[in-house]
Amino acid sequence: MLAYFLLLVPLPPLGGFLLLALDPYRLERRAVMAVALAAGIAPLVLFLPVALGYFAGSIGDTIAPAFTLNFGQFEVALAMQLDALSAIAALTVTVVASCVMIYAADYMASARVADLRRFFALMNLFLAGMLSVVMAADSIVFFLGWELMGLCSFFLISYNMNSPRAFAAGRKAFVMTRIADAALLAGLLLLFLEATSVRIADLIPAGLAAPEQRAVVIAVLLLVGALGKSAQLPFQTWLPTAMAGPTPVSALLHSATMVAAGAILLIRFAPLIEAHPGVAAATAIAGVATAVFGALCAVAQTDIKRLLAYSSISQIGFMLLAVGMGAPGVAMAHFVVHALFKSLLFMSAGVLSHASGGTTEIRRLRGSAYAAPISFATYVVGAAALAGFPILSAGWWSKEAVLGAAVMAGPFGQFLWLVALGSAALTGVYAYRPVWSALRSPVEPLPAIKENWLAVGPLIFLATASVLGSFLVGPIVRTMGGTVPHAGLGVEVMGALAAIAGLIGSVVVSFSPVWSARIKRARRLRAGMQMDAIYYAFLVRPYRRVVHKLSGRNARKDTSHEAETDRTDGGMGDPVGTATVNLGLWLARVVTAPFVPDRFDLVTMRSTREVRRAGVWARRLQTGRLRTYVMAIAFGLGVLVILGWGMTWG
Amino acid sequence: MSWGFAIWAATLALAAAVLSVTRASAVHALLLLLASLLALGAAFFAMSANFAGVIQLLIYAGAVVAVFVFVVMTVDASETAMAHERKLLRSAWRWPALFVGLSVIPILFGIGGGAMDAGAPAAADTRELGLLLFGDWGVATELVALMLIAGMIGVRHLGRSLGPRLRERGRE
Amino acid sequence: MTPLNILLVLSAGLFFAGLFGVAARRTILMQLISLEIMLSGPALGFVAVGAYHGSVEGTGMFLMVLGLAAAEVALGLAIYLHMRRATGGDSDLAHRLRG
Repeated sequence: MLAYFLLLVPLPPLGGFLLLALDPYRLERRAVMAVALAAGIAPLVLFLPVALGYFAGSIGDTIAPAFTLNFGQFEVALAMQLDALSAIAALTVTVVASCVMIYAADYMASARVADLRRFFALMNLFLAGMLSVVMAADSIVFFLGWELMGLCSFFLISYNMNSPRAFAAGRKAFVMTRIADAALLAGLLLLFLEATSVRIADLIPAGLAAPEQRAVVIAVLLLVGALGKSAQLPFQTWLPTAMAGPTPVSALLHSATMVAAGAILLIRFAPLIEAHPGVAAATAIAGVATAVFGALCAVAQTDIKRLLAYSSISQIGFMLLAVGMGAPGVAMAHFVVHALFKSLLFMSAGVLSHASGGTTEIRRLRGSAYAAPISFATYVVGAAALAGFPILSAGWWSKEAVLGAAVMAGPFGQFLWLVALGSAALTGVYAYRPVWSALRSPVEPLPAIKENWLAVGPLIFLATASVLGSFLVGPIVRTMGGTVPHAGLGVEVMGALAAIAGLIGSVVVSFSPVWSARIKRARRLRAGMQMDAIYYAFLVRPYRRVVHKLSGRNARKDTSHEAETDRTDGGMGDPVGTATVNLGLWLARVVTAPFVPDRFDLVTMRSTREVRRAGVWARRLQTGRLRTYVMAIAFGLGVLVILGWGMTWG
Repeated sequence: MSWGFAIWAATLALAAAVLSVTRASAVHALLLLLASLLALGAAFFAMSANFAGVIQLLIYAGAVVAVFVFVVMTVDASETAMAHERKLLRSAWRWPALFVGLSVIPILFGIGGGAMDAGAPAAADTRELGLLLFGDWGVATELVALMLIAGMIGVRHLGRSLGPRLRERGRE
Repeated sequence: MTPLNILLVLSAGLFFAGLFGVAARRTILMQLISLEIMLSGPALGFVAVGAYHGSVEGTGMFLMVLGLAAAEVALGLAIYLHMRRATGGDSDLAHRLRG
């Protein structure tokens, strides 16, 4: 019975989306808010008792089948499942989503009703997608939710429909994740062919039993899918620009859920990754590289949202490191803690930037600490968790666990540990920068804004959770079937020292004129090592040249020029769409032009005429005369009798 | 009675039926129908199916034909009408005859086989028949009764609406 | 060649005579008379089979057919009277299938 309860969990957001998106009536503002909040919070209400029951041990692992189809040896079974991963992840997602929804109700209060509807409809659809990813018991529901998230993220990033930047950012996010999604789809299909079933519980053993080369291919494809969704190197370019969306979007999509979906994927399929040392090492290296890269770029940021975006990919790098080191439970713990403090950071940063006049530049946050003290306090808590402030913050415990797992994984792991330690120190450097900036006395006194309880309530809750989350790390790791790594006192002290070094570093960077000037000059780093430009030069431009050549039109040079000047955001002028249109035109010219122009029309028209004539002819059978029918019956009877006679001839 | 008489009576019935469907005059056709039904009744008696024979005479040859008689009385029986009727039949009989022949010929070939070894026809017990109709076949009997009631209601309906609508049509 | 065989062929003959009448005659009244003949064919068959096998079901089925025939005659004649004005009693002219 309870199994079917699981199926209900993603339904309220889906229903909310349908109601908000398709409702023909013009709902008034309050109704939209009420529907959105109800739909956004209902999953938490539905799932909380289930999850608590699971953690208390009164409910075991269950699978709720929704739909099953058999094709010969292949089985397609859509289902939801409750196991350690889905219980923890879904609970985290529902908690964070509820907080974000409540916060968004306040944050979006000034938007037009139509925009509000669009926004909340997509947020709810997104939530439904994420819930189906974490709770899926089969690869179809998993991939469906995964794609749903990709689609929603495109719409939500492009929420500001007047801004070409937002559109370009949404498109970039969509295309980048799509490239990775193709790899993921290929990997899942290969797994399906191995297992002849879509159940994840069947896929993993089948993947493990597969021949070596195929298994490696599958693992690599899954890894690429995860890297793309999580904005890890080399797919990291989409996330910083995706900050064009509203703050609640960033808080939900780009901290706790969507980018974390890649980590969820890897944790879910961790046995496949771990089975091949090479793939596991690649995962760990990608994770560490992104962690360092993200931290470095974040240090150089002047925009608080972009700073947080780089910190997101950096933290998810830590999760990947944990998966690569064979400790998915630790990754899960870091996922939960990161979801809590990162959404907190995004949302409190949103309030702070409201307080300082709507800018997201760190420099201009000056004095917002006095205008919005509660939000500032919660931001500090979040930043401490992000930087891994020793002992007090949940972030320290989970990060220590990740680092410990790396140390215990042999010499290679210890090398990665050193690099990750550097990244952890850098995390401290950037995490506190907005704090110091906000504490500075303002150039002109900012008016104290009223901190609405709708906005502050979730912040306080999440801040409390980010502190108390320290106690969750151990239980989560154990629930996931792992052990909390204890790599010895020295390692832990090193971690604490790194965090404290980060704190000192941030003071230096913020208050020493030399260093702040250096930060200001670090253009290259700020633009994410100009990876966008590199991709543009080596991938996008050649591709567009090919497309232009194929489409046989050079008239679009002007748009490409425009795009070159605006490198980060592109401005492609839709070469793919043009290519297909031109392909169609070319086909029309080559294939159909040799014929009489209207040949196809004539064929169609003649066939309709023939159908009509056949109808007229067939109608003659229906004379309406009784005798005709009787004769037809008599004829048929005669034929039957003769047939019967013939068959009994012998 | 005997099979021989039953066969002879049934043959008479068939002959009367064939004549009946080919008559131009409705009165002749009706009389031949009556003859056919009476001959069938005789065949039933010959087969010791007395109850069936009695019913055949009373209901079929009696009531049904009586109803027909009332209707036939309204039919135009003039010489021109007869000629018209004959012309219609002459123009239309070939295809139906062909189609019916399709079925009849195989059946004629199917007569053979078996020996003339049967004893006298067994008499059907009327009491047993009643037990059957109102016992095992109760539902079927009820359905037939229902059908008769439906027929009655239908006739009542058609008959009632006849007057005013006919008058209306006459005016058109 | 059993007597039952002959009687069954005769009953089929009655049925097909009726069928020929329904198909060949254009007058509705004649078609109704032909229908009666069509129904009497199976009636003969049922009674003959029942008598041959000494079972009472043959007569039972005859009674069912009788009920059907009675209802059919009553309705058919009522409809004939109804349609006679419009079509002159010619079924071919009633091809629009309207009262």
